[in-house]
Amino acid sequence: MPKILLVDDAAFMRMRSAKLLTEHGYEVEEAENGQEAVLKYQACRPDLVLMDITMPVMDGITATREIKRIDPNAKIVMVSALGQQSMVIEAIKAGAKDFVVKPFEPEKILATVRKFTS
Amino acid sequence: MKAEFVNPFVSAAYRVLQTETRTEVTKGQVTLEDSPLVSDEVTVLIGVVGRAQGLVLYGMSERTAKGIVGAMTGEAIPVFDAMAESAIAELGNVITGLASGDLERAGYPCKIAPPSVVVGKGTSISTLNIKRLVIPLYTKFGELQVHVALRETY
Repeated sequence: MPKILLVDDAAFMRMRSAKLLTEHGYEVEEAENGQEAVLKYQACRPDLVLMDITMPVMDGITATREIKRIDPNAKIVMVSALGQQSMVIEAIKAGAKDFVVKPFEPEKILATVRKFTS
Repeated sequence: MKAEFVNPFVSAAYRVLQTETRTEVTKGQVTLEDSPLVSDEVTVLIGVVGRAQGLVLYGMSERTAKGIVGAMTGEAIPVFDAMAESAIAELGNVITGLASGDLERAGYPCKIAPPSVVVGKGTSISTLNIKRLVIPLYTKFGELQVHVALRETY
């Protein structure tokens, strides 16, 4: 069962995405900021990280760099409302594999998870 | 206040509300205000910094907020609790984030802060010397007012 680390400061987004993923057979871990994501990544080594960008304590871009430093093979997909081209480029430079812009249809996030965990 | 700051928020709000709540949205008359905003029952505040700088606010009644969150979750929301606050804050965050993409393409790259929520009617919120463009949006859940108080910086 692939393990997904959901990183988002919005409790609602974590709840909704966790429900969707567990209903489709994925194991889910959650973190509410980038710093917690780095610690959880080290502890549970998920198959994929779904990472928000704008978060308190540590943002998603910094957390992506930290996780890639710990594990260069880490698979991280940014899931953000920030549709700015400059932000997409910054995320890819930090090591993100893909970028999903909110709002998204549930099938979009499931297809992205399947792509990186199958 | 530049009129070109309006359309990114209108189109983003249409897209987000239609995707998240499966409802049609219509826009009312846009007005320009320079007095402090007196909050409705639920107000989401999001700071913006960059070439466009200021504050974006989303105001609505609790009934409207519950209706929107209920449509987002597919469940009735009897009480406007912490999870409902998180959902309505995320709605504002996603609208502002999407709008920031259009602002960047128009030559105003900017970053947005995590959202805050004011619950309770009658709080006076001043955007100081930045005037507010007020965009009323009508949904089947009630009215959502988008307040855009942004100025260009160099």
